[in-house]
Amino acid sequence: MTDTVVITGAGITTSIGHTVSGIWTALVAGNTGIRPLGNGSPDAAATVSGLDPAALGIHPRDARIMGRHSHMLIKASRDAYAAAGIVKGDFAPEEIGFFAGMGMVDYSISDLMPGLLKSLRVDGSIDYDLFFDSGFREIHPLWPLSMLNNISFCQAAIGLDIRGENTVFSPHADSGARAIAEGVRTVLERKAKIALAGGVSEAVSPEALARGRYFGVISRGEGDGNGTCMPFGQNRSGTIFGEGCGIVSLELRSSAEARGAGYDTMITGYGSSCRKDAEANCPAIDAIALSMKQALAQADTGPEGIDLVIAHGDGTLRGDGNEAEAIGLVFSGLSGQPAVYSSKPAFGHLLAGAPAVDLIIGSAMITQGIVPAVTGAYTTDPTIGFTLVKGQPLPLRPKRVLINALSYEGQCSSLIIEAAVHQR
Amino acid sequence: MSDNSSRRRVAVTGFGMITPLGRNTTETFDRASNGLSGIDYIKSFETNGLPCRVGGEVDDQWIEELLPQSARRLQAYSSRGLRLMSVATREAAGLARLDLVSDRTRIGVSLGSHGDNPSVEDISLLHRFYDGKGNWDIRGLMDAGGYSCLNFFRRKPDAAPALLSMLFDCKGPNLSFVSACSAGAQAIGEAYRIIREGSADVMIAGGCEATLNFTGFIGFVLIKALVEKYATPPQASRPFDRKRNGFVMSEGAGSVILEDLDHARSRGVPILGEILGYGDSADAYRITDTHPKGDGAILAMQGAMDDAGIGIGEIDYINAHGTSTVQNDLTETRAIKAVFGDRARQVPVSSNKSMIGHTIAAAGAIECILTLTGMHRSIILPTINQENPDPKCDLDYVPNEARSRRYRRALSNSFGFGGQNACLCIGSFEE
Repeated sequence: MTDTVVITGAGITTSIGHTVSGIWTALVAGNTGIRPLGNGSPDAAATVSGLDPAALGIHPRDARIMGRHSHMLIKASRDAYAAAGIVKGDFAPEEIGFFAGMGMVDYSISDLMPGLLKSLRVDGSIDYDLFFDSGFREIHPLWPLSMLNNISFCQAAIGLDIRGENTVFSPHADSGARAIAEGVRTVLERKAKIALAGGVSEAVSPEALARGRYFGVISRGEGDGNGTCMPFGQNRSGTIFGEGCGIVSLELRSSAEARGAGYDTMITGYGSSCRKDAEANCPAIDAIALSMKQALAQADTGPEGIDLVIAHGDGTLRGDGNEAEAIGLVFSGLSGQPAVYSSKPAFGHLLAGAPAVDLIIGSAMITQGIVPAVTGAYTTDPTIGFTLVKGQPLPLRPKRVLINALSYEGQCSSLIIEAAVHQR
Repeated sequence: MSDNSSRRRVAVTGFGMITPLGRNTTETFDRASNGLSGIDYIKSFETNGLPCRVGGEVDDQWIEELLPQSARRLQAYSSRGLRLMSVATREAAGLARLDLVSDRTRIGVSLGSHGDNPSVEDISLLHRFYDGKGNWDIRGLMDAGGYSCLNFFRRKPDAAPALLSMLFDCKGPNLSFVSACSAGAQAIGEAYRIIREGSADVMIAGGCEATLNFTGFIGFVLIKALVEKYATPPQASRPFDRKRNGFVMSEGAGSVILEDLDHARSRGVPILGEILGYGDSADAYRITDTHPKGDGAILAMQGAMDDAGIGIGEIDYINAHGTSTVQNDLTETRAIKAVFGDRARQVPVSSNKSMIGHTIAAAGAIECILTLTGMHRSIILPTINQENPDPKCDLDYVPNEARSRRYRRALSNSFGFGGQNACLCIGSFEE
C-alpha cells in the first residue's frame, strides 16, 4: 500500500498578519510588512508585533526566558493544532512528533550588561578580576536558558504536551525545509500519528542585523526599490530580514480521512545538497539544481510536472543569480516554463521560518487558484530566463509547486507540494 | 515521499574522536579502560571566584599536531569546535577510506554543534557600541575595526557542518543540530535515517563542542548545573555516586562514518559496527527539570529498540547519559528500570562522563564510538568514582574497573537540556 502525507492544518504568523486567511488576503493585495526600523537605525525589517505573551497565556516566569521567536513558535504551533481540529487528548503525547528549524539565538549583550557595568573601572574599562569574582552574578540566573537554541522549541512542546519524535535544526531556510521533510518521514514510518513541522525566524535584533551587514547580504537601499528586497530585480542589492513562523500539521492521508480531517495538499518531494559558491555567501548553481532534481525524483515527476516555483529569491545579487541559473538548468527545454514567485518582499527573509511559510501560502495558491504578484514595483533582471509573477496576481491553479530554501553557507533544500486527491 | 521505501542497513565504516582523555579513539579508550580521568583544573581562562574550577580541556598541542592541512587554511573561519571535529573526522575518514568514494553528491554531513561563544573581550568591545536600549552604533563599530565579522560566523551553528563538507568534499545533505546535550546522538540518528531511506550513501555524523570559555561556563554556573564540591578534579565527575553534585563541562568531538551496508561492501571497507535503531522523544515537562519518572528517556530507549526490532533481552549493555547531576542519574536509573523491568540489574550500565566529563553536543557521538570500540575489544568501560553507593541508584554501573565481557548490542542514551532525548541502538556487525 502506498500512502502519502497530507497537510491537515497550518499556523502562521508574520509581519502582515497572524492568520492564514489574513495573510493570504494581504499578500494578494500586495501588502508588505517591511518598514524602516526607526530610532536612527539605517535598516528596515519586517518585524512581528501584537504577540503579547500574556495574551498567549505564557506565565511571566516563562516569559523571562522567551524571545519573540518563542512567542511566534508557540502561537503558530497552537494554531496548526487547532486548524487540524485537534484538541489535547486526541492523540497520545508520544504519538505526536515535532520538528522545527530555528534561527540563530544570539547572546543578548543587554542581558550581559549588568555584569559588565558592575565591573567597570573609573576609566570605563573592564576590571576582569572584579567581573570574574562577582560581576557575573549580576547577570540574571535564567539568562543561560534564553541563549540555548532549543529552549523555545521545548517550551512549545511542553505547552502542547508533545512527547514524540522531535528534532531542532538550525539556522537558515534549509533547516526549516529539513524539519518538514523529517515530519513527513516520521509520519510515513508511522513513528508518529501526527507531526507538527516548520520553522521560525530569529528575532530581528541588533546582533542579527550586524551579522547580516557584515556578511554583506542586507539590501543597501539602492535602486528603484528604494531599499526594499527585490528578488531577481535588475538592481537588487540584498535581502531584508523578517520575523515569522510557519507550522503545519502532517498526517497520513488514510489517517486524516479516518478521523474526518480536512486537507487540500500533500508533500510529495524533498531534496537536499550542499556546495557553497566560491565567491559569495550562497549555494553554488549545481547544488541548487541537484536539490531540485532530487525533489522531482522523489515526487515521481519531471520538471514538466511543476507549474510554479516559489523561489528562495532573497534579493541578493549572486544568490538570486545562481538560483535563476539553477532553475534554468532544471527546466530547460520545456515548452511551457513554470511561473516563479518569491515571498521575501512581503515577509522579509524569514530564514528558518521561510520554507514553512512558503509551503502554507503555496497550499493557498493551489486551493485558491491565484498566484499573488511579487510585492513591490521594480524592474526584473533581464538576464533571468523565467517569468517572475509581477504586477498583477496570476490566475493559475498550480497542480504542483516546488519550493526552494537556501542557506548562506551552501546548504540547499527543495520541497514539492501538490493538490491532494480525496480518496473517499 | 511515500511509505513504500525499503529499509537499508546502516554500517559504521569509520570513527574518530578527540577528547580530554586522548587525541584519538585508541588513546581515549585505552585510558578510559584503565579508569583514568581527563578532568583537571581549567587552565584556558581565569576561574578565581567561581564555584566550579574544573573541566575537561583538550590539549591545544594535540589539535596543532593533528589538524588536517586543509583545515589550517580555514583557521580564521573555524570555531574551536570545528577544529576538534576536523581532527576527529580525519581519523574517521581515514578508517573509512572516504576519499575513495567517487560520487561526492551522495556523501552528507550531520553535525551537532553550537558554534563559538563570544569572549568577555568581545562583549567588552561590543558594549561600547550599544546604548543599552536595543540600539547599536554599527557604523562606529565598523569604523573601530576591532570586531571581526568572523566572530559572528563562528557563532553560527551551520558554519561547522558547512566547512566540514568543504574539507571532506561532501556535497550531499548537510544538517546542523542544536538540541543541546542530545545533539550529537540526534545527528547520528538522523544520518542513519537519511541513509536508510536512500537519500545518501555515506554520512559524516557526530558532534563537537568547545564551550569551555568564560561566557559558556558562567551560563551553567548561573543555573547551578556544574559540580561545586569535589576533593580533586579527577573525582569531580561521579555519576550515580551518592555524593555527585553536578556535571563537569568538557570539550571534544566525535565523528562517525555511516554507510549503506551494500555500498560499504562494494567498496570493500571493513565494517566496524552497525546502527540498528534510533529513538527520540521530548519530556514536555519543565525546561529546567527532567521528568521525575524519566518518561522521555523511557520513550527514547523503547523507540530505539522498536526501531531495531529487538527486545530488552537482546541488549547487553547501556552506555548511560550519566551526567553526575543528582536529578539526571536518578531519573535515568528509574527509566532503565521501567524499560528493563526485572532485567535492569543484569544489564551493565556505565557512564563515560565519569572520566571525560560532559562534552554536550559531542557526548552522544563520543559515547557511541566508545561503545562500538568496547564491542570490538570485549571491554565494558567503567564508571569511576563509585565510592558512596546511592540506594536510589542501584543498578550495575560497572564501578571503577573496566570489565571483560563480549557484547553485541547496546543502547547509548543522550538527554538534552530542555527535555529532548535520543537513544541509539548500536550493534556489532553480523551478516
